[in-house]
Amino acid sequence: MNVDAQVIEHMMNPKNYGTLKNPDSEGIGKNPENGEKVAVYLHIGKDEEEPYISNIRFQAIGCATTIVAGSMLTEEAKELNFKGIYNLIDATMNLLDKLPSEDAACSEMVALAIKAAVDTYVKRETDLNYPIITYQIANSCVEKEEEK
Amino acid sequence: MMKTVMIKTHEVWLEMLMAGFMSKTANKQILFDFSDILFRHFTWLENELIELNESYSYDRDAIPIKVAYLSDLLHDIVKRLDEIELQLLSSPDKALRSRIATDLNYMRVTLRGMDDEKVTAFNMARKLPQVTLTKEATDALTLFLFEETYKEYELIMIYNYLKAHSNDAYMNRIFQILIDESFFHLKRFGEMGAQMGILGVPRVVMKELYQVEDVVQFLTDGIDEELAAKEECKKLSDAVAKDSSELAHFFDFINHQENYHIALMKDALKHFTREEY
Repeated sequence: MNVDAQVIEHMMNPKNYGTLKNPDSEGIGKNPENGEKVAVYLHIGKDEEEPYISNIRFQAIGCATTIVAGSMLTEEAKELNFKGIYNLIDATMNLLDKLPSEDAACSEMVALAIKAAVDTYVKRETDLNYPIITYQIANSCVEKEEEK
Repeated sequence: MMKTVMIKTHEVWLEMLMAGFMSKTANKQILFDFSDILFRHFTWLENELIELNESYSYDRDAIPIKVAYLSDLLHDIVKRLDEIELQLLSSPDKALRSRIATDLNYMRVTLRGMDDEKVTAFNMARKLPQVTLTKEATDALTLFLFEETYKEYELIMIYNYLKAHSNDAYMNRIFQILIDESFFHLKRFGEMGAQMGILGVPRVVMKELYQVEDVVQFLTDGIDEELAAKEECKKLSDAVAKDSSELAHFFDFINHQENYHIALMKDALKHFTREEY
């Protein structure tokens, strides 16, 4: 991870870290390789009947890189409607190839946790008892040969 | 209401500890001592909740600590202590209430009389006194301090929870030693973080980490994590060795302390698995 002032600020004061009381939805992103995970909690608002994220929090069992990714991505996700959220997730997923392994795995875990929370909300619109969705990441945290 | 008192005590314990990191004068030791006392209050309140059979967690709010002067934080701490004292009235245990209240009174008087200090713990200068590190070593140290400060706090919370829910004196002795060891590490890493201008409050620990369902698995994983921590200390010691032999010795010392933690955890594992049968 490139340790610049912005990254240090996110490590010192992660934005949106914690849980929400009575969340409208939750989702989990998980790394099956090492058990690390990110949980995302959402409050959903309605703007002319279109749902949007009115508040978001995350918690993580993971490294500092995951916390930085969680802090940055949840900040970007705030106030977005679902179309905006899916665009944000796609844009993040498309960037992963360009990142070092650890950064890619951590960012993917956060992006998938946000996606899981939104997808859980959508499922619960027709089935109130739909369980919290968990998505597993495809990227590995382990350094690729060329990174060593 | 007692749950709220426990959460508020958790928050002010950490805030007092952070104030200790920020101080560069004789205030420091007093603030550390007060934070130790508040941690003990926290454990007493936790035990009361267990006795009352009330569910609780270690969740808490974020604690804003970024101040220009120490007095700004001390004012906030005094305000929090006032609130705790008021909420303590709900405790059914009169003796506990009075024990905590007399401590809080003394703390408030002392904090109000402390000389003010300019705070540099957030300036992001990333320099240690009398040490010049390369950019690479500085980055490695920065990441290490963030990772390990949280990790030590996490371990304190896990061992504390295990201890609170165990009546096994042998295991509790080991948990207490590990709590004390983690406090020492947390204080040293927090000190370095403050000196480097990158002080931050450790994040909230997720419930599933401390509400341990399988103690054997937890101890087994814990031994692996300690081995990994040894590797990190070794890497860091190597990275800073050419710039500062003092810093390299410090990380070697932490590395060697992990051997002791591993031995304790192996001992706990042996005792616990024997107890199961």
